[in-house]
Amino acid sequence: MREILFHFFAALTIVPAFFVATSRKPVNAAMNMMVSFVGLAALFVLLETYFLAILQILVYAGAIVVLFLFIIMLIDAGSSPHPRLLRFLASLAAFALMVFAGYYLVFGGGAGPFAEITAEAPGYLSRTFGVSLFTTYLLPFQMTGFMLLIAMVGVIVLSRRFESDETGGEQ
Amino acid sequence: MTIGLEHYLFVSVLLFAIGFFGVLLRKNTLVVFMCLELMLSAAILALIAFSRYNTTPGAPLMEGNLFVLFIIAIAACEVAVGLAIIVALWRRHQTVELDEITELKH
Amino acid sequence: MELGTVLSIILLAPLVSAGLIWMFARQRAALAMTLSLGAAGVILLCSGWLFFGLWDGSSYEVGTEWLTLGSFKLSVGFLLNDLSALMLFIVAFVGFWIHLFSVGYMNDDGARGRFFGGLSIFMFSMLGIVLADNLFMMFIFWELVGFSSYMLIGHYLHTDEAAQAAKKAFIVNRVGDFGFLIGIIMAYWTFGTVSLTELEQVAGIRPEAVTTLMGLLLFCGVLGKSAQMPLHVWLPDAMAGPTPISALIHAATMVAAGVYFLGRSFFLFTEEALLIVAWVGVVTAVSAALWAFAQRDIKKILAYSTLSQLGYMVAGFGLGTLYGLHHAGDSQTALYYGIGASMFHLTTHAFFKALLFLGSGSVIHACHHEQDIFKMGGLYKTMPLTTLTFAAGVIAIAGVPFIAAGFFSKDAILYVAKSTSAPAFYLLTGTALLTALYMGRLFFIAFLGKPKSKAAGKAHESPWTIVLPLVVLAVFSIGGGYLVMYPPSLQVLIHDWVPHPHGADHQLMIIISAVASIVGLVLARVIYGAGAKTDKLETTLPPVYAISKSRFYFDEIYLLYVKKVQDRLADIIGFLDTLVISGVLVRGTAGAAGLLGIMARRLHTGSVSTYVWWFFVGLVLFGAYAGGFLEGILK
Repeated sequence: MREILFHFFAALTIVPAFFVATSRKPVNAAMNMMVSFVGLAALFVLLETYFLAILQILVYAGAIVVLFLFIIMLIDAGSSPHPRLLRFLASLAAFALMVFAGYYLVFGGGAGPFAEITAEAPGYLSRTFGVSLFTTYLLPFQMTGFMLLIAMVGVIVLSRRFESDETGGEQ
Repeated sequence: MTIGLEHYLFVSVLLFAIGFFGVLLRKNTLVVFMCLELMLSAAILALIAFSRYNTTPGAPLMEGNLFVLFIIAIAACEVAVGLAIIVALWRRHQTVELDEITELKH
Repeated sequence: MELGTVLSIILLAPLVSAGLIWMFARQRAALAMTLSLGAAGVILLCSGWLFFGLWDGSSYEVGTEWLTLGSFKLSVGFLLNDLSALMLFIVAFVGFWIHLFSVGYMNDDGARGRFFGGLSIFMFSMLGIVLADNLFMMFIFWELVGFSSYMLIGHYLHTDEAAQAAKKAFIVNRVGDFGFLIGIIMAYWTFGTVSLTELEQVAGIRPEAVTTLMGLLLFCGVLGKSAQMPLHVWLPDAMAGPTPISALIHAATMVAAGVYFLGRSFFLFTEEALLIVAWVGVVTAVSAALWAFAQRDIKKILAYSTLSQLGYMVAGFGLGTLYGLHHAGDSQTALYYGIGASMFHLTTHAFFKALLFLGSGSVIHACHHEQDIFKMGGLYKTMPLTTLTFAAGVIAIAGVPFIAAGFFSKDAILYVAKSTSAPAFYLLTGTALLTALYMGRLFFIAFLGKPKSKAAGKAHESPWTIVLPLVVLAVFSIGGGYLVMYPPSLQVLIHDWVPHPHGADHQLMIIISAVASIVGLVLARVIYGAGAKTDKLETTLPPVYAISKSRFYFDEIYLLYVKKVQDRLADIIGFLDTLVISGVLVRGTAGAAGLLGIMARRLHTGSVSTYVWWFFVGLVLFGAYAGGFLEGILK
């Protein structure tokens, strides 16, 4: 049962990702990305990391994709032309190289024998997260808070309108 | 067959490769950015898989998951700032195609 | 106080003076003169202290290691023995009086700071040669002296003549020094040491290792510095420098350094080498004497007489040492007869030649820089002291028996010549006659008769700073043959090392010298007459005069060689330099670096996509490295 679920959700992650990379309309790409993130969240659930699965939906699929859609709307990006053949083939070659390298690494024994799953399923509850976050990893936690603040301030500064932009787009 | 760590890792590799393929292929800045996010989520998947599979009974391995938590937070910041930059670029050049934004030349 | 300390003071006082002048007194003439004269005074006082008590006459050596390169050690040190003591006395004594003379003579010169600084540097360099205890140190100071000479000959910066003369002096000296250096290296190679005392010992133990070639190479340095044939061409031209310089450097001290060196290294000369040395000296002496007859410039006449006397000294060394080798049984110091004869003549020559040059300086100064003797005349009335002292000098150089210092020294040289080589003896005696003849010519035309130009008519006696040195030097020119004039420590050399004829030979030599000198002077008076307006030889025997004037075409041959051969060679090398060194090496490497820069700049396309591709390449490389694929390449 588990295997079927894994394969299904893996496909749900990979296939839309492929469409993200090749869609000519940005909106299509954004929607595909959302589906891909949902698939990813499902994989997290399979890995019994429920907390992070929900977080993934909330932040990634919820906030980030929405942000993308807002900007697409703002910029009014149209559809892109077909990519040129040479570029496509070169990128495909790079893709193939990476996949083969990865395949060799993972399945060819290059990275050594991988751990077996242990019987115990930890569940990774939010409580466990909280304990570690507020004791051992307090510093990174606080720094992340600062980072969010900085990002917010940065965004506000960057979106400020300058005199030369008066002739630009809309509000 | 049992799903082992290697399967999750391969999915992660595939996702990463697709993201990178997109970055190489596309000229629209927004789409490139989206593919960047895909690459980031591939990394997240790998981390969580490692964290789950290397846990010992009794003491769950939290490091990978916590790392992912921070990555998600940082990805959010990054997307926000990156999109703000794209908007600013768009305001200046009226386009977001990478071919036409060549001001990084000397 | 230790001997070494006193010697260091002597050596370094002029250097300190030069340094101070360079730093503070380049525009302040009075300060420069005081410093330089003060240094010369310090040198004289310290030398006097040495000779009148502090030094006991035994050979004194002290030194330290200065530079070590692998197994090669360059040391600096002092060697004070009879020979260097005598030379030190000459340099200190004559040098001081010439410094005093310069104070008066150069009083209307605008660049006195530079002049006196140069004088101090010269004293430093010369004293370095005198006191050096090893060949390398001597060579260093040898070159320094050459530099001082260059600087001082070219003192009158704005005249082309002075610049050319300075260049010529330096280059001709360089040619000689090239052979000199090879000789020194050869000595070092053969004996493993360059210290003079050690060389003397080793050469004594292994006389067969001393080769003629080594001696002749070392003699090349003498050829350059002491202006022997064929490197004599620079000395007459060097008269373009100020007169005190001509007196100090090109008469009394620097040109004598070559003879001094011969004395220092006499044990490195085989009999064949000595014979060649002697004959070079003889030929130089004779030729220079012949050339003096066609000169009109008072300084040029004196220059050729210096050349001739230097030839005497070199010949004296060669013949005397040969004599000593053959008559080793006569006395303990027979081996040093060559050194004695040449050094004694060097001493007396320093006195009377400096006197003659200073006297000519006095005359030139009084006649407002007129140097042609045919435009002077009648100076005996207006400048009696100068005339008197100059006459003393002429008598000294002519070698009139007993009243001239030159008589005693020339006597010694003629004596060893007679005992060693008859042709040399006849030539040298003939040259003595010629010497008296052309010096008499100079004196009678310039000083007697009536003034032949306005400048000569308005001449008056020079101030005391000019006349006092003349008087002192005149006293020594006359009395310099007598032992009592010298400090006690120096009398050993003069008494024991100078060969004296005995018995019947003694009277014969006196007669010969008397005839040569007096007949020469009388003939000069008869032929040229007092205060003549034109040269009698030119008018009566033009071909002879032409041969004399031609100076055997040495200058012309050298000039031809320089223009046709040397310049062409230099052009080729210059072309190679422009092509290879500055073209390929310098601009080539710059061009290669520039090319790399251009290529690197191309990478900045400005297109983000391209940058991403570069990212990918980097990723692949990194992956390969991490995967171990690059082990072979990175080995």
